[in-house]
Amino acid sequence: MIDSFLAVFKISLKAIFANKMRAALTSLGIIIGVAAVITVLAVGSATKKSIADRFSNMGTNIIFLRQPWDLDESISSPKDVTMDDVVAIREVEGVSAAAPYIQTSFDVKYKNTSVSLSALATDTDIFKAYDWSVDKGRSFTEKEIASYAQVMVIGATAAQTIFGDVDPLNKTVVLSNIPFTVVGVTKKTGSSGFGFNIDEGALIPYTTGKVKLNSGWQSSNRRALDRVVIKVEDFNKIENTKVDIQNTVRNTHHIHPLGKDDFQLDDFASFVEQAKSTATTMSLFLGIIGAVSLIVGGIGVMNIMLVSVTERTREIGIRMAIGATSWNIRLQFLVESVTLSCMGGLIGIVLGVIFTLFVAKYMSLSAQLSVWAIVVSAGFSAATGIFFGYYPAYKASKLTPIDALRYE
Amino acid sequence: MSLIDTRDLYKIYQVGDVEVKALNGVSIAIEKGEFVAVMGPSGSGKSTFMNILGCLDKPTCGTYILDGIDVTATDLSKLAGVRNRKIGFVFQGFNLIKRTTAIENVELPMIYNHTPAAQRHKKAMEALEAVGLAQRAYHLPNQLSGGQQQRVAIARSLVCDAPIIFADEPTGNLDTKMSIEVMDLFTRLNKEMGKTIILITHEPDIAQYATRLIKFKDGQKMSDEIQTPTAAKPASMEGL
Ligand SMILES: Nc1ncnc2c1ncn2[C@@H]1O[C@H](COP(=O)(O)OP(=O)(O)OP(=O)(O)O)[C@@H](O)[C@H]1O
Ligand SMILES: [Mg+2]
Repeated sequence: MIDSFLAVFKISLKAIFANKMRAALTSLGIIIGVAAVITVLAVGSATKKSIADRFSNMGTNIIFLRQPWDLDESISSPKDVTMDDVVAIREVEGVSAAAPYIQTSFDVKYKNTSVSLSALATDTDIFKAYDWSVDKGRSFTEKEIASYAQVMVIGATAAQTIFGDVDPLNKTVVLSNIPFTVVGVTKKTGSSGFGFNIDEGALIPYTTGKVKLNSGWQSSNRRALDRVVIKVEDFNKIENTKVDIQNTVRNTHHIHPLGKDDFQLDDFASFVEQAKSTATTMSLFLGIIGAVSLIVGGIGVMNIMLVSVTERTREIGIRMAIGATSWNIRLQFLVESVTLSCMGGLIGIVLGVIFTLFVAKYMSLSAQLSVWAIVVSAGFSAATGIFFGYYPAYKASKLTPIDALRYE
Repeated sequence: MSLIDTRDLYKIYQVGDVEVKALNGVSIAIEKGEFVAVMGPSGSGKSTFMNILGCLDKPTCGTYILDGIDVTATDLSKLAGVRNRKIGFVFQGFNLIKRTTAIENVELPMIYNHTPAAQRHKKAMEALEAVGLAQRAYHLPNQLSGGQQQRVAIARSLVCDAPIIFADEPTGNLDTKMSIEVMDLFTRLNKEMGKTIILITHEPDIAQYATRLIKFKDGQKMSDEIQTPTAAKPASMEGL
């Protein structure tokens, strides 16, 4: 039985290799289809992962509180976001950190160097919110914050740029003519966060930033913060926690129960989901193109198999005359079409892998070659061979011996 | 019981509104070990008759008993095993598969009865030896002469030990010398291996090799006589 199957397989290979050019052209559709499907799936999942990575740097369990940029005109006396909100939010259950957030940029002067730097006016909760840590020195103290101290915690890369090999601790740098003492250096995070890159930036107490540097959008209001960065403990409960925060802030802002919010809470969960779903839609779309090309390739296989059956009608007659059953004939043509499409599939897989590595290299995505995609495309090309080879094989097997033998 | 027994075989083709009676009531019985030559004018129904005997075609009506099996009652597609084990075919146009070597052609019937590869090779080689072509085993059909191709086809018809060989004008495409080679081979198969041979021919010389001569005309049996094969020489493989 195995011997006979091997023999049938050998016959099929011979038939295919008797027409190399034709076999190559027929497989082309399958090759392109499989290569496309593999590349698209790999690049698609790499894109998704890179989106997820980028957002997970600042955490998907982060909520921003801020005043809306397009504040509803019907709100008569909107309140700014202040430390009162921060303090109240810290009491909300499920909140693990809440930090004031005012972003500015300055020219930082140290001796003869002057570097433009992004600075965050904040307090120590920012470390908890963003999982940053101090590598050298220390963070601000409560006292320093309360006393508008001119102290700074600097990012690792920024420290390197400004100080080179010199130890930055206790050195004095000048921001807008105000001297600041460097009290700490943060540990390198190695990733560019969203909006603010700590590695290349610096942290100062929000009080100092607000009062002495006059930073923030609402510079007229010395208490106004740009935002509050809130970290929730459990991503899965973010929606509930958000509602609690909303109620808390409504309370501190003394909003009437029927009044509208004069603030907004943004979280990234929905943003990340949307970015991911865009990437999914993209890969789905491209995947469909690949699948269509596989189907077109399959039709090509079917076409060639039909031609082959017609061309070899006499051969079918001979085989039947010497004892081939309908099943033998069907098997032979099926094996032929499956072999044809699997060869296409194999070449397609190789091309797809090469293409993925190429794309990954030039688009600096981490290549996500999934074994799954390869197995599926291999299976799919075999299935294409069976599906599109079945009709020609069936047609061949239904010939009567004499009609097949007499065929000219 | 006869090996081959046909009763009132009819084969009627409808071509447009013309009815062609290719066989018009043929009843013939052939015993095991006979060497039958079938002659008759072109279009008299010889090939039609043989194709029915060889289970390649069905009669319109009538019965055909082959070795005790009522073939007319069985679907053609179910007769693959019968064709494989009981019948060997030799055609005028050789009907070898062109892409494959002589030995692969001879092995083919054994692929369909699941003979293990080693045994397949051995038996195919033996059959090729029997027809004197062992040294041409790995040649492709188009590298062989007509007579050699026909001998490969005969080897193929032998290889499953089928008791019956049907040959439709096996020498039709061969010159006299090659025809003699092939006919000597048939004689040998008949005499030494006891094969029942039914052979169609247009040439009286060829028909002389047979032990029985049936003549067809207009789809009917005209005559049916036992004869002494005059042309049959003492069979000898050395002459091949
Ligand atoms: N498929 C077919 N359709 C219609 N008519 C057919 C078909 N096959 C054979 N015939 C007719 O049946 C008759 C017998 O044909 P057959 O082939 O048996 O003749 P034959 O005796 O073998 O002739 P030849 O010696 O030329 O080979 C012929 O008249 C032929 O035209
Ligand atoms: Mg004929």
